[in-house]
Amino acid sequence: MGANSSRELEARNYLEKHQIIELLNFLTSALLFFRPEKPREYLISILEQLRIAKLTGVAFPFFMDNSNIVAMFEMMDSSNKGIISFIQYKEALKTLGLCTADEVLKDDGHGITLEKFRREVNKRTQEIWSAF
Amino acid sequence: MTRGPSDAGHQGAAALHGGMDATTAPHRIPPEMPQYGEANHVFEMMQNMLEQLLIHQPKDPIPFMINHLQRDNDYVPKIVILGPPASGKTTIAMWLCKHLNSNLLSVGNLIAKEFSSLAADARRHYQKFKTVPSMLLIRLVQERLSEEDCVRRGWILDGIPETREQALMIQTVGIVPRHVIVLSAPDTVLIERNLGKRLDPQTGEVYHTTFDWPPESEIQNRLMVPAGISEGETAQKLLEYHRNITRILPSYPKILKVIPADQPCVDVFSQALTYVQSIHRSNAPFTPRVLLCGPVGSGKSLQAALLAQKYGLVNVCCGQLLKEAVADKSKYCEMILPFFEKETAVPDSIIMKVLSQRLDQQDCVERGWVLHGFPRDLDQAHVLDSWGYKPNRVFFLNVPFDSIAERLTLRRTDPVTGERYHLMYKPPPTMEIQARLLQNPKDAEERIKLRMDLFYRSAADLEQFYRQAITLNGDQDPYTVFEYIESGIINPLPKKVP
Repeated sequence: MGANSSRELEARNYLEKHQIIELLNFLTSALLFFRPEKPREYLISILEQLRIAKLTGVAFPFFMDNSNIVAMFEMMDSSNKGIISFIQYKEALKTLGLCTADEVLKDDGHGITLEKFRREVNKRTQEIWSAF
Repeated sequence: MTRGPSDAGHQGAAALHGGMDATTAPHRIPPEMPQYGEANHVFEMMQNMLEQLLIHQPKDPIPFMINHLQRDNDYVPKIVILGPPASGKTTIAMWLCKHLNSNLLSVGNLIAKEFSSLAADARRHYQKFKTVPSMLLIRLVQERLSEEDCVRRGWILDGIPETREQALMIQTVGIVPRHVIVLSAPDTVLIERNLGKRLDPQTGEVYHTTFDWPPESEIQNRLMVPAGISEGETAQKLLEYHRNITRILPSYPKILKVIPADQPCVDVFSQALTYVQSIHRSNAPFTPRVLLCGPVGSGKSLQAALLAQKYGLVNVCCGQLLKEAVADKSKYCEMILPFFEKETAVPDSIIMKVLSQRLDQQDCVERGWVLHGFPRDLDQAHVLDSWGYKPNRVFFLNVPFDSIAERLTLRRTDPVTGERYHLMYKPPPTMEIQARLLQNPKDAEERIKLRMDLFYRSAADLEQFYRQAITLNGDQDPYTVFEYIESGIINPLPKKVP
């Protein structure tokens, strides 16, 4: 029984170290969003791009580009104040899969501007991708 | 696996805000996404990939994943066949191998392998002790399975694992069968059978003097009597087999099938083949979109109601929908009313508009639906399909005319209370009530026959259009029919044999 749980631990560590679950989530989302005719070939092409990006250090084409970030911010900022509340910001990051449910984020009381939101989304996405 | 909307989080945010935000509106996942996921088995593909990643834990996951996707061997045969001596294991294994174009592994052919130091060691041990040590055997299996032809075309293990120890070892190195077949027969039958066993030294095939005698005389002439088939020796081997098999079986709880071997080998083979070609239920998220087709009186409404009640699907009855549209005086009311008044069929385009309005509502998209009453012919089916509503389970309920007539012509309504009765299935409690019961003119026998004929004229076209439809005998009690429908929805659709 001890051997089993240590292998399980090993497996969990492996998943975390290489961020496998996040990668599979991303691949599944891409598939369902773009719905290519040939899913396997499509997945292979994304993985190839990732592999090359890792080797050459060229930025990987992120799922959420700038216009998406702006659109999302504007959806949340319905009264056009230019800032969103801390709660909205945290929920948005959770929806994008960029922060875990129990992560503690600092609330500086000033609300989040578009610039700060964009910077944070890009920073976190970069962190995740650098693990590959 | 798929990222869904974090509804709980949004509801929490709403509570704190005390107002409506764009973030608190429920997420609407376009139905094309789950449809695509189902059609392309995305969940299963990801699950398989994750399994392989966890088993091998490659240092470089991305090239590994690329390789795995390119190989595309998720569904190649991975079969284990176990059974007592003389049960016909080897025969079945060889036939399956030929039929599925796969590779056969047995203790015999593993140790006979050339150019392998492991095999040479195993041969030496076998010559002395007539057995192969488990560790060595499993390493031989592992070596063989890593070869290109096994990776590409799958494998069938004949008589391996022999013990629980071997079963666990196989699992530890990451070899996981998808189907395990265990042949079983009473010991007395097996002891007798073993006496007639004959071996073809050239091909390695096993024959029998009574049950499986080869027709060609040249094979007959070269058949040999193998060693170890006397009654005493067989009984000894059986003892050992029974000791081991009970401890191996618990390792394969969900993928095991026991096939009785005391029947003609072609029957055993056909059962084995059907089993290995079946797909196990997967954990993929599944929103049922069920279509029930059948003539009037076949029980569609009843089954739809049962499904809605048990699984929370939305019951969409086309006729009901149209009547509701008229009664609610909705925008479609003026379009539909003239057709109702003239008692002619409402045109397909109008029906489709009403139907799509209902099917696009949030509850249908989220919980799934069961549709009946539409389509009734090929044109309607095409229209439904072109508007993007593709059912993922289609059932045809077949009921002979006499049963339909019995079900419908005996329907009565009490004009005073409005209560509905059936003279056979739900008779009225008193003679007084029975005296005043009235029959709906639509339930007259001639009109029923007309409507049934109308359905059967288009049935053949519909069955061809919905190629993966399941046909059921509707002429049974409702709960039996319901069980068949349930199993049709829950089990994966049979894969077409290539």
